Amino acid sequence: MISSLPVLPVIFPMITAAMILLFSEVKTRRLIASASSVVQVAITVMMMLAIQTHQILIMPMGGWAAPFGIMLTVDSLSAIMVLLTSIVSVAVIHYSITEKTEKQEHPLRLPLIFFCIAGITLSFVTGDLFNLFVAFEIMLIASYALLTLEIDRKEISHAYPYLAINIIGSALFLCAAGLTYSLFGSLNFADIAISSTLIMTDPRIVVIAVLFTLVFGMKAGFFPLYYWLPNSYPKLPAPVGALFAALLTKVGIYALLRIFGTMLPHQLWGVYSIILLLAIPTMILGAVGALERQSIREILSFNLISHIGIMMVAIGLFTQESIAALIYYIIHHVLVIASLFLLAGLIEARAGSGDLKKLGNIWKQSPILSFLFLIQALSLAGIPPLSGFWGKWMLISEALGIGAGVFVAIIVITSVLSLWSLLRIITTGFWTSSATTTTDSSNHIISKDMVAITLSLVLLSLLIGLSPNSVIKTARRTSQSLFNQFEYTKKVMEYRSIRTPHYHTPKIIESPIQISPEPIEIQEIEEHQG
Amino acid sequence: MHTITAILVGLLFGCAIYLILQRSFIKLVFGFGLLTHAVNLFILSMSKSPLGKSAPIITPGNLVSVDPLPQALILTAIVIGFGVTAYMITLVYRILKDAHDQ
Repeated sequence: MISSLPVLPVIFPMITAAMILLFSEVKTRRLIASASSVVQVAITVMMMLAIQTHQILIMPMGGWAAPFGIMLTVDSLSAIMVLLTSIVSVAVIHYSITEKTEKQEHPLRLPLIFFCIAGITLSFVTGDLFNLFVAFEIMLIASYALLTLEIDRKEISHAYPYLAINIIGSALFLCAAGLTYSLFGSLNFADIAISSTLIMTDPRIVVIAVLFTLVFGMKAGFFPLYYWLPNSYPKLPAPVGALFAALLTKVGIYALLRIFGTMLPHQLWGVYSIILLLAIPTMILGAVGALERQSIREILSFNLISHIGIMMVAIGLFTQESIAALIYYIIHHVLVIASLFLLAGLIEARAGSGDLKKLGNIWKQSPILSFLFLIQALSLAGIPPLSGFWGKWMLISEALGIGAGVFVAIIVITSVLSLWSLLRIITTGFWTSSATTTTDSSNHIISKDMVAITLSLVLLSLLIGLSPNSVIKTARRTSQSLFNQFEYTKKVMEYRSIRTPHYHTPKIIESPIQISPEPIEIQEIEEHQG
Repeated sequence: MHTITAILVGLLFGCAIYLILQRSFIKLVFGFGLLTHAVNLFILSMSKSPLGKSAPIITPGNLVSVDPLPQALILTAIVIGFGVTAYMITLVYRILKDAHDQ
């Protein structure tokens, strides 16, 4: 069971998606989706528990030996990310199936959400660069389809920048993978880590690192390539928007952590300073953009960008403590931004619009939603003792410790601007008594289930804010294991000489095509080439 | 050989980016097609010169063969490219249908 655990959270959503497509009855589809997302949480919790005892879970696909076969590798960071994915997806799916009356939901939405989750999860558990690319593509194709599935005819042009930038990003990713292969002769993270210690000062490593920063920066929303994000995410249906905002950008951040933490040598200070320099405009412009926008989800999207900037500072400093802060911050941010997008969706459904000029009196109409929104907004801005504070506090104290005071100042300014933009939603949208809001829009129903789902996400994020010690401890341990490249490579390379009994059964030997399970012969070929 | 490949990859990339920047969904489809070709050619050039090497079939006497991995990568990239192209053609069809219905 443990040995096949890494593949389960990937394969399970895929099977679910296929199964949902088989049934035409809405109730059956919803039942499958609901049950499957709950089982997914159970699987990922099991994975998290297995990580506590085994540190790294490895599954050689098809039984091929280490650097040649596909190795799904789950370490502590992957397990945290997969667990977060399953928590957000269970909320998003339940919100989606309780959201509308049965006629309105597009029949392809649920399967596509599951394919998207499969792609996201695969990108967290994969142990090599090429499967990371495949995972990105599964995730992106599903996200393209989700973006254009239910979008209004007049707004379809907003999908263009998203498509264009991701297509170019994928092409560059493939080029970067090709360059990595030609330099290191491998695509496996652990194998590259070993090879890269031999050619640590080679300038080509820097080229590859910069290319990966560009590729994953595009997906995460780094300056100057962020403008597609706030223009496309608010057009999505609320649950899909929450899924995208919480997870898709984090996949970019995770991939950068994996590339810089596990794969490449840890002394690329030039590249880290590029990320630090790009972080400044990302934070400032994200926060300023949020002040200028007029609808709730657009403001949230710009805030998302400014917080990506804060995460970039954590990557750029690249110390063990700053990465620990980043991991805590990711955990906080995924939960808070997902719940804020869901709350925004609820408020939009209640009021009929997300436009601040049209909103009004929300405080009186739905006090619970307004209160939850206020808490999560304060948490996002980083007010103690809510969860957003602790990650920022860890990062700021680390930055002060190593003398990067400029970034502390910018993080504080960003937080203030972020708080201002979020409070603007409360003051102009919730507290004003404009009578233009249509209160009796009968086609916009919000059910108690939707509120309960959102409430549980809010409670979870409150929990990690009010008792942060265990989460901070986990984040520190994860960061420590990420910095211990040797342990990771050693564990993967233990699979260098596996012989699965499968290849020695007479059935295989009798087959007309001679299958060679010996990786040594392939090595010989490479030697002859070189 | 490498110079020609490099120029060709650059040319394909340039045309593809030009098409994608046109802000038309049809041109996006063609731009994407060119882009995948550019990338595939780029990856192919990562496997060293194929001159004097046999196909990557492992037999006792055959030890000098081309590197099969870039080809496997290209094959996967082509399949993914098909998927994306199919999606984009559907999208263009939907946009055209919307325009007709109006």
